[in-house]
Amino acid sequence: MKGNFFISLRLFFERRRQSVIATLGVVIGTVAFVVMSSMINGFQKYFLEEALNINGHVKIFVESTFREDRILRKVYKEGIFLVLGAKPKSVKDRISNYREILSKYAKDENLLGITLHLVGNGVISYGVKEKPATFVGIFPELENETLKISKYLVKNNLGQLERNKEAVILGIKLAEELGIKDIGKKVILLSPNGTLHRLKVVDFLNTGITEIDKSRVYLHIKKLQDILGKPNEVNEVILKLKSADLAPVYAKRLTKETGYRAESWQESFKNFLSIFKIQRIITRSVVFAILLVSGFGIFNIIMMTVLEKKRDIAILKAMGYEKRDIIFIFSLQGIIIGVFGGLAGNLLSFEILEWLETIKIGVEGIIRAEGFLLDRSISYHLQGFIFAVLVSFLASFYPAYRASRFHPVEVFRSGS
Amino acid sequence: MEADTVLKAENIKKLIGNYEILKGINFSVKKGEFVSIVGASGSGKSTLLYILGLLDTPTEGKIFLENREVDFSQEKKLAALRNRKFGFIFQFHYLIPEFTALENVMIPMLKVGVDLKRAKEKAEYLLERLGLKDKILRKPYQLSGGEQQRVAIARALANDPILLLADEPTGNLDSVNTQKVMEIFQELNSEGTTIVMVTHERELTRMTHRVVEIKDGEIVKETTPA
Repeated sequence: MKGNFFISLRLFFERRRQSVIATLGVVIGTVAFVVMSSMINGFQKYFLEEALNINGHVKIFVESTFREDRILRKVYKEGIFLVLGAKPKSVKDRISNYREILSKYAKDENLLGITLHLVGNGVISYGVKEKPATFVGIFPELENETLKISKYLVKNNLGQLERNKEAVILGIKLAEELGIKDIGKKVILLSPNGTLHRLKVVDFLNTGITEIDKSRVYLHIKKLQDILGKPNEVNEVILKLKSADLAPVYAKRLTKETGYRAESWQESFKNFLSIFKIQRIITRSVVFAILLVSGFGIFNIIMMTVLEKKRDIAILKAMGYEKRDIIFIFSLQGIIIGVFGGLAGNLLSFEILEWLETIKIGVEGIIRAEGFLLDRSISYHLQGFIFAVLVSFLASFYPAYRASRFHPVEVFRSGS
Repeated sequence: MEADTVLKAENIKKLIGNYEILKGINFSVKKGEFVSIVGASGSGKSTLLYILGLLDTPTEGKIFLENREVDFSQEKKLAALRNRKFGFIFQFHYLIPEFTALENVMIPMLKVGVDLKRAKEKAEYLLERLGLKDKILRKPYQLSGGEQQRVAIARALANDPILLLADEPTGNLDSVNTQKVMEIFQELNSEGTTIVMVTHERELTRMTHRVVEIKDGEIVKETTPA
């Protein structure tokens, strides 16, 4: 074994040019893996973390099952034509037993918090500008205990909602679109039933998630109940769990136990999750392709080495080195390339990530950020290292195996 | 079988395709002997040497090493026997170009588990003995043909083999280096090393104890040089 190590290491360091080229391929593959994983997962993690912070893990709501044609269909089955554009009936969407739900689940061991919402749509206007918005009526203290909303408030004025029933918090992008740059401005809220309400902007919500910041308006729940003409009504119960992974189980259980529809965040964000999945597949495919190319590089270099060193392999076998020794000597070179490439790749990717963290560029899309959102998990470095060593080992194994099959007499006779 | 027989070949036949290279060779070497095998190109002398050195398997026949029959089916044992019992020298030195002279000589010792320090000491001693004291750290391309062959001899002696097998060891050397190599062989032999040398240069056989002549895969003559 000692001899094998000695020979392999000496060959690796003596054949510097080939070794460096092969190692460079692995370095590039490792860097691509670590940096791309960090960027993609950083973005996805940020989005989910922030979205879950503000939206909770499970939402209980009234599912609309009303169909205009349900009575007709009972009689005529398929033989009817639906006329579109008919005036919809007002459908009650309140959760009537929310107090019961609150008291029943508040002490659940897996629950971090539970809060109540009244949600409705309307239009908000400032001066001549009008924008559609989602109004969310909240109990400010309860909301903050459950969803830590104050973390996302620019002026930290959540208490104003409690004290001043005319107060409103606007999503920062919505405020921008309306032309509101500071608090204290008066906006007009147009409810679905046609009533107008003058409210004072006391803060801005800045979650970094464009969709939320562009549409959400927070009010005290009592105020929104007045505006919408739904006194004491609640139409959403939001649960925050200790583990986000428990959400599907709880959603299923709550649907069964409460009689309302309970939706896990995985279901609410299924479109995003499937996009993220595709992103991960694409990233993995690109990295796999890069590592594959590196692997072919190693394969070629070790294969060339093996063919060049036929005579040396033959003499080693004549001196008593066995097939497994030859396999070890050349596979070890692949492993050394993988180890060096993996280590150098990790170091380089660490430096690249450090550098990327310092770059300040405005990113605006699904989310807004002032730079790259990176997930600096050590697991990407570990995975990158393991992949590097594995690919290098696999790429070197076949040439090593071929080398072990050389028959010394045939080599000596051929004079190669 | 005589007690001092180091190696014995019994009815060795070797077929490659339909062509019979060796046609039932009987041959033995006694301890301390210096035997030369001569013959024209293609006579089968190198094939015989490879079979004697357990590098190749005979189609038929038996090999006895120190009076024990060699089992050609066990590759691992054959490799161990080659490592511990034989030293090989070829027409081309077959030194590993990336290694120094010293490292080339160390390689067979490392296979048997000799530690690096001990292997280095012994390799230094062998190279010094062969007149290469100042060149131990040189790579093969930095040595002359004769020096390269002397490094190969030192490497063959690394594990104190019971038999030195040389296939045209001077075939690639000029007359001065040929003389030097033969003198080294004689010196080693006089110290008790058993040598079997394949050559086509008949004048070299005068320095050996016994000359075995092969023609068309058969031993046609055995003589003792005057």
